[in-house]
Amino acid sequence: MLSQDSHVADELLLMELEGELSPRVAKSVRTHIEACWRCRARRQELERSIADFIHLHQRELDGQLPPAAGPRAMLKARLAQLPVSAPERPWQWFVGWGRLVRVAAVSVSVLLAIGWIVNRAGAWKRSASPERLVSTPDSTLTPGATVLASRRDVCSQANIKNRDVPASTQLLVFEEYGIERAPRRAYEVDYLVTPALGGSDDIRNLWPQPYSSVWNARVKDALEDRLREMVCSGTLDLAQAQHEIASNWIEAYKRYFHTDHPLAEHR
Amino acid sequence: MSAPAKLEVLVAPADSLDSGIRESLEDEVVRLFDQLRERLLRYIVAIGLTIPDGEEVIQETFLSLFKHLQSGRSRDNLQGWLFRVAHNLALKRCQRARRSSELLASAAAGTYAAIDPSPSPEDQFANSQAQQRLLAVIQALPEQDRRCLFLRAEGLRYREIAAVLDISLGAVSLSLSRSLTRMARAAQG
Repeated sequence: MLSQDSHVADELLLMELEGELSPRVAKSVRTHIEACWRCRARRQELERSIADFIHLHQRELDGQLPPAAGPRAMLKARLAQLPVSAPERPWQWFVGWGRLVRVAAVSVSVLLAIGWIVNRAGAWKRSASPERLVSTPDSTLTPGATVLASRRDVCSQANIKNRDVPASTQLLVFEEYGIERAPRRAYEVDYLVTPALGGSDDIRNLWPQPYSSVWNARVKDALEDRLREMVCSGTLDLAQAQHEIASNWIEAYKRYFHTDHPLAEHR
Repeated sequence: MSAPAKLEVLVAPADSLDSGIRESLEDEVVRLFDQLRERLLRYIVAIGLTIPDGEEVIQETFLSLFKHLQSGRSRDNLQGWLFRVAHNLALKRCQRARRSSELLASAAAGTYAAIDPSPSPEDQFANSQAQQRLLAVIQALPEQDRRCLFLRAEGLRYREIAAVLDISLGAVSLSLSRSLTRMARAAQG
């Protein structure tokens, strides 16, 4: 998986050291390290940093912590003072409380049921268009990240072609999204906020975008070009463009191209 | 006179049942306290609390654990749960202290190095230059990077750290590698 020409990124070296990689990726990294002196030395440096840090950490803190006996006795006394309350059993409060509470409970149940039905209806609607679910990144893993760049910086870039994402970073992204083996060929690791709009190389700005989806990378490129034109012509604020693309690029496309589906020339 | 007797009979079994459950829950909480108190305390002191404040946060954390278990909520990864609660309580306490202008020396410095503000000359001598450099690097790290480092030092796995700090797994690995890279650079002088 890793060629001998490229070196393993520090994150990946560390994750291998820490046992945080899947067996397959770990094996690939180890095979590279065996053949690469530079990566092996780097790995040892990271290991040495861990050892140095932990020695310092222990020296700074261990002697300062008071013994546990006093706080332990205090906790036991405070636990004993806590009022008795049985585990929450739904039927108990339903039976024990007054009529008013029962009426309120029934109302809440009805509201919850309606809420559930509405929610399910939304979910069914969403599941009818699965490409939408995979075409936008998981916002907790890929919230989007930008570099400090002004409108002038962005608009003066001569080459707006995206830089290739290094193989080791791609592995990290796949790892983070739990995408294993074969299906990886079906994805391109793409920038959420394109560097042409000030997006950064940070992993928080990268996600595996499927090739096959209706809302694919080409459609997103068209949106990026449109937003960049607007930013550089002064009709859209750079921060606003970055926010729109990071929060939901499909919605942004629909808004800026006035359509619910990708236009034929963008597919 | 018969009514109180009847009441006693009705109440006694329920009480004895509750006290049995309660006792075993108390034992479980104290057992977890024995296992994790030192690691939790070291972490929250490292991120800026004084030791007395840290001890109080630990007490609150384990009292919350008792209520959590008593209400029958999830027992999945209680270690992660305890670190998350202790972390949040510690941050609240730091913020309160800052708001009321009672700045804690360590919280203001944002580092555990401030615990011992006046090391003896012998200690100062013993601290090698490399350790001083390392300390300076740790002090200069962004807050989130220091938290990742301290949680990892307490044995938490990346997923647990991500859950405690409410960040992504990728952000944890990036943060740790960034910090260690800086330390490696400092070690080389």
